[in-house]
Amino acid sequence: MKHPPYHLRPNKAVDRFMLIEVLLRVRKAVNLSEYTYYGLGGPYLEEFRLLSEFCPEVKLVSIEEDHDTYKRQRFHLPCRNVRLRNSDFKSFLSQFNSRDRRSVFWLDYTRLEYSAFEDFMSLLGKVATGSILKITLPAEPRDYSSDEKRKEFRARFGEVLPNPWDSPPVEAEQFAYLVQGMLQVAAQRALPSAVGRIFQPLSSFYYADGVGMFTLTGIVCLIENVRVAREWFRGWPFANLNWRAPRRIDVPFLSTKERLHLQKHLPCGRHPGRTLTKALGYIIDEDRRRSHAKMKQYADFYRYFPHFVRAIP
Amino acid sequence: MARGTQQQPAYEPVDASPVKSFFVSMLTRDIKLEEAILDLLDNCVDGILRSKKRRSAQKPYDGFCAGIKYDKDMFEISDNCGGIPWDLHDYAFRMGRSHDRPADPAGAVGVYGIGMKRAIFKMGEECLISTQNDCHRYEVEITREWVRDEKNWQIPVRPAARDMRHDGTTIVVGGLYPGISARFSDDEKAFTSELEQMVATHYAFIIEKGFSVKINGRAVTPRPTRLIFTKKPAGKGAPVIRPFLFKATANDVEVFLAVGFTRPIPSQDEVADDQREKRYSSIDAGWTVVCNDRAVLYCDRNELTGWGEAAVPRYHTQFIAISGIVEFRADDASKLPTTTTKRGIDASSPLYLQVKNKMREGMQVFIEYTNKWKGRAEEAKAHMRAGEPLSFAEIKAEAERLPLRRTRRAVPQGEQYMPRLPLPKRLEPQRRRISFTKEVADVQCVAEYLFNDENADPCAVGEECFDRLLREARK
Repeated sequence: MKHPPYHLRPNKAVDRFMLIEVLLRVRKAVNLSEYTYYGLGGPYLEEFRLLSEFCPEVKLVSIEEDHDTYKRQRFHLPCRNVRLRNSDFKSFLSQFNSRDRRSVFWLDYTRLEYSAFEDFMSLLGKVATGSILKITLPAEPRDYSSDEKRKEFRARFGEVLPNPWDSPPVEAEQFAYLVQGMLQVAAQRALPSAVGRIFQPLSSFYYADGVGMFTLTGIVCLIENVRVAREWFRGWPFANLNWRAPRRIDVPFLSTKERLHLQKHLPCGRHPGRTLTKALGYIIDEDRRRSHAKMKQYADFYRYFPHFVRAIP
Repeated sequence: MARGTQQQPAYEPVDASPVKSFFVSMLTRDIKLEEAILDLLDNCVDGILRSKKRRSAQKPYDGFCAGIKYDKDMFEISDNCGGIPWDLHDYAFRMGRSHDRPADPAGAVGVYGIGMKRAIFKMGEECLISTQNDCHRYEVEITREWVRDEKNWQIPVRPAARDMRHDGTTIVVGGLYPGISARFSDDEKAFTSELEQMVATHYAFIIEKGFSVKINGRAVTPRPTRLIFTKKPAGKGAPVIRPFLFKATANDVEVFLAVGFTRPIPSQDEVADDQREKRYSSIDAGWTVVCNDRAVLYCDRNELTGWGEAAVPRYHTQFIAISGIVEFRADDASKLPTTTTKRGIDASSPLYLQVKNKMREGMQVFIEYTNKWKGRAEEAKAHMRAGEPLSFAEIKAEAERLPLRRTRRAVPQGEQYMPRLPLPKRLEPQRRRISFTKEVADVQCVAEYLFNDENADPCAVGEECFDRLLREARK
């Protein structure tokens, strides 16, 4: 099976670090060894590598349907304590039993299908309180540009649309916000407040490494503990605790030389976009406004920005 | 002591008076919160029917609106639908319907006199009802103390504190129960989505006729079912895609039924995909039953509407294109085949059972077509292209121009239109369908090899393999 180079996607790389950031904040209150991470790591097991590095106490389980990819995963194992499961996700989910242990799930989909929302709802009902769920879905408005496609969208997702008869928006940000709203409806359906547990959002982002994506991370907690969970994330600049519009990740492509040059100006307080552009002495996008926006993104996410370098193995 | 000599107690009449908690805590369990809110909307529409304002035949509810607002502390519904006339005040607030109540306006749906009260007690313990009708403006306040006092059945009425711009009613419910308050706040997104969906489907016919409903400030867009109707056939008597129609009047109830296609029939791949994982979460397939303009059942696909009964198969994705609407209309709402919640059908109603026979008869026409064209969905699409999706009102208008035949030996007697749908020519005996399944990775590998596109349609991949080998074999 052919795979795109997931490990070379800068925005996705930042998104992976955002999950690590969430776990590092949870670690302050809960022992992470109580958690097991379940993910669809693809052939390179990129997030498993990060997790084993930053949160080595978390147990790791990878689920992979394709047998050849599974073999590649065995080759790329980042550490000894990753358990590889050769199974399709639906079967895994139907047999999943939390045994009252906390989990971290990353549902990472490449197609926007109603079944993804069903998986999400099913998982919310199954995981133990304190579990963390991250779901990533394509959010590409260009896929719904014709009337027929928009009608199809409503028929497919009517059950989880906040306003069942709205058309999908054409702006990437609005579309991502709609997908977030759909997940909010799904979460409230799966865990109505009468049950006593809710899905508390922690962060949400949208980005495009070619195709638009939306990603939401949240924690399943008892209603009476919501305030405590929110407290863990107070002051985190990337927190989204109230289902606000998702934040954009759109980091610029910068050379190592440029990055080293910018290093001494970071972190910068007011007008980071303007400050960093001035530090470089030239714009890096079509115009000054866009260039400032890109540099602002760099200032926000530079600590999570991946280094792509040529290496001699 | 011998039995015969035992002293008999003095038997006194027993207390059979109603208990308030029965209405407040028990009756409210029979109904979902969303349905309770629809009951309040029904009252708004019944108010329009009572009002003396002149109404057009096409858009009888034009200019009338209802606004619903809620948050964690309160629920409010306000309308401009005429208000509660003072001569009804002795009846409107009673628990149940008394025999001496004045007759309802033609076309109303309230029968049992519990809708408004049940909806209020479903939500909370406090309520203020303000209404204005002609020269009367008054308020009725239900307090927590009144609800808990088993003996006091009198509710004080006082003049309304302020004028309303139009005759209408505002109901504000406070003291919300914790579960209801949570649905209006913590679960607000899911609740609003569900409520909008219910209003858009159950009130589609009324909203299309001019009524407006706003939920937290946003107007609800109606979602009527539209059936494909070919207005002009290719030639006289040529087969066309049109709905099966039936109309009758029985026991002062007018019945109009239409069943047909909402979309082209699905391909076998689409059916297989949907069986593997749910592809559509919201579909138009099934039966919608409408009583006096309100949908009491929406897109039902069970035995209640004839699926899986008699000669009709159980609903399956291959019948996703089939949808029907049956309308019952009566001046006297008690003759309609609805349940007390008004969101369900009285399955034992003789009239409904008679009409259900016709519903099954109509469905069979389209099931037969679907089966005949199975595996040839692409060809069948051409038939649908000649038609256009029409609303129920438009179909009723078209029915006036169609040659409906009398059905004298059917019960109920009426008139019906049986469309002549296109049928496929007999399959050529030389043609055979080939179908097989292969590993996804293998299909992608061949697709890449043949088309340089690993995501090419698997049907095209299979067909290209066959064609290439055929050319090879013929060399």
